[in-house]
Amino acid sequence: MEDRGGNDVPASIPSGEQMVWADVSPLIAAACNDLHDGELIHGENFNLFAAMSALEIMDPKMDSGMERNGFHSIEEAIENGAAPIPLSLDRTVDVQRCIDVMDHLLSCEATWHRGHSLAQTVFSCLYLLRIERTSTHPLLHSYCRIMRSTCDVVITAVSDARTHEEEDFFTTAYSLPLKGDGDEKCLSLLNSVEETVSRQLRACKAQASRKKLCDGRGLELAKKHVMSCLSELGSMSKSVEFLRSNAGGPSDGEIECRTTASGKQPFGFDANINSRLSAPTPPRAIQILSWKQAIEFFEKLLNDMDAIFSLPLDLSLENILQFLVQFQKSQPDLVARAHLQLLLVQDGKLYGKYSFHVVISRALVLPEGTSDQAFQENEFVVQLGQLTINLIKILCTNNAWQRRKLGKILQDWGVISIQLELAFRREFDEMLKVSADEILFTRLSKRLIVWAEEKTYWIASRFLLLGFQLELYSPKEYCMVYWYMYVIFVNLLEKMQMRASYPVDDSRRKGKKKRDLAKDVGLESGVCASSSCMLLQCYVYISEGLTMMLAALHNERQIFKISSPFNSEHERFIQHFELLQRANVPPHISYHLFMESTTHVRISNVVKHNYFREVQRILASLRGSFAGDSNKLLELHQLEQVIEHNRIALSVIDQVGASDPSLEIRFEFQHHPFFPVAVVKRS
Amino acid sequence: MEGETASDPIADGSPLVSRVRKLLFRRMLVGVKDGRFFLGSFHCIDKQGNIILQDAVEYRSIRRSPQSPMEQRCLGIILIPAACRSSCHVDCSINEQMSLLSII
Repeated sequence: MEDRGGNDVPASIPSGEQMVWADVSPLIAAACNDLHDGELIHGENFNLFAAMSALEIMDPKMDSGMERNGFHSIEEAIENGAAPIPLSLDRTVDVQRCIDVMDHLLSCEATWHRGHSLAQTVFSCLYLLRIERTSTHPLLHSYCRIMRSTCDVVITAVSDARTHEEEDFFTTAYSLPLKGDGDEKCLSLLNSVEETVSRQLRACKAQASRKKLCDGRGLELAKKHVMSCLSELGSMSKSVEFLRSNAGGPSDGEIECRTTASGKQPFGFDANINSRLSAPTPPRAIQILSWKQAIEFFEKLLNDMDAIFSLPLDLSLENILQFLVQFQKSQPDLVARAHLQLLLVQDGKLYGKYSFHVVISRALVLPEGTSDQAFQENEFVVQLGQLTINLIKILCTNNAWQRRKLGKILQDWGVISIQLELAFRREFDEMLKVSADEILFTRLSKRLIVWAEEKTYWIASRFLLLGFQLELYSPKEYCMVYWYMYVIFVNLLEKMQMRASYPVDDSRRKGKKKRDLAKDVGLESGVCASSSCMLLQCYVYISEGLTMMLAALHNERQIFKISSPFNSEHERFIQHFELLQRANVPPHISYHLFMESTTHVRISNVVKHNYFREVQRILASLRGSFAGDSNKLLELHQLEQVIEHNRIALSVIDQVGASDPSLEIRFEFQHHPFFPVAVVKRS
Repeated sequence: MEGETASDPIADGSPLVSRVRKLLFRRMLVGVKDGRFFLGSFHCIDKQGNIILQDAVEYRSIRRSPQSPMEQRCLGIILIPAACRSSCHVDCSINEQMSLLSII
């Protein structure tokens, strides 16, 4: 038996006092021979169940301490020359190798962002693990310092935002040396190194600057920083040819998966050196992103950051919610989402500047005579402020998390609307010690209720729409989903219209920011609100049209009908809308009602009703009001496509006869993320 | 561990098995093929020679050289498959050692 431990017990493992280590291998081997199959030798306290949880030694999935023919420790690796400083005595080679290390570190960082452990990615770098060694090599040293403090900054941001899930991102750093004295000054360190480098090594100038904002005095600065980072990434990409030709590395085909621009293997990395630190998770085999992928990753991250920094700071809550929905469409990375959340909600204030009662009062257009103090202290306003903060935070999370949480907070919003309804008159009478003008209180609290209800329906609609993005609905369920969406949109529209109808009494507004507020409110309840209402009206018609079309197809063709022996249609209805029903959003909605409104629908009714034609009319008039808003114009175009195709499909079905067995009907989301197009084919 | 638990005492009463049974709960030091050692309380063994130790500590040399210092890590309950075991010792007095050696 070949073994390194041998039969000799190392002296550093002492036996007990007056005791020795006796070799029992032969005894055990002989005893095992005498055992029957399945027999165990164990004590009375033995519990098979507990024994099952034992960590299996030498199992690569469980045993993080396994030796993998690598170095036993960082020190041993360094002593064996795995991370030489300088990287070469030849200065040109030294620079080339240094760039390889930087490139690989960048790939490691991107891989870490994608959800792998810090220990197996960035901190597989021996230079980074013993950063003090690099002090004689200013370029490498500053890069390592920057890398370390960047990781620290990112971890802090993500942990503060608390929107990460375990599989998203490893914020746990275990015992890795993440913090170092003077790391906060790393940018100036970097600057001085860059100056030196650009003097000494012109060819490598582009490599020295690093991305990421370590600090930022205002969004303008941050934007500038992002721009310069993007241009640096651009020049890095341009340097590929140069670096590759110098290195004489592998061929183009192979280079795609390499982690350095030159295509060479970098010095000073050992993916297994930290495997014991990643406990309790067993070390997993990971693939570091290629250099090219890493560059793309950071370009996307920087572009997302740029979108965040471009957000104007005087937005109304409505616009912020819209921005969040729009921003999420680009599927931003966790780090970008965390930063967005931190920017929006700081110290319980919007942008760290406006209290949420101010944000709410802006949206309400408070009637004259409302005492700010009393409004601010009103318990409902406080609660609504808190709910709004939660809503913003939730909208910064990933889609699955978002939907889960939105479903949960619906309840809170539903409850507060009811409470408001019940309590407003009495409460406001006491709180707002204004002359006993009953009309004023009624108006104010009415507005508060309408606002809260509007938000409730908005949350409900977002909840339902996210179901499409997460692919939670099957075609057989589309009918009930669009029916529910239709109901929600109708209610949301009603509330929005009520709010838009408030008189804009800017002449009577008071307060320091009079002009700002007036402008903001005027804009919101004027043009913007009316075009948002019209767009929503389109949603209403399309949802209704789709519901009816699907219902008619159920009724006349028996397709898209749930006929599973396991889940009845009623059960699926409950599964999908339980949270909405529980929150009473909207009230008095039931499966029964759904059945009632869909069982008798025929294709001929749907054609006659012409829901889609209505939409076309509205869309045409909307174009002008969204001029300049490319996102909105894109959506209008998408909706037009949906309408047009469905209208044609509908008339084809009607002409051929819905019950014609040669018709093949499918619904596809090729034009719009949540409104499908009926594809009709004759076989 | 596979198979059913042998809750009843071993029927044929092999003297070797009873000797091993006496080692239960003793401090056992198991070396494995990659050079590490595990010290823990002997908890269980099956016919295939797979050993379970409780409250185990891993010893691992931080350098390749034989005189290297060792680092330790607590692991709790571990299963050491027979296939990777390279040595097995128990802590005992010198007298006992003689009797253990005389068995075979």
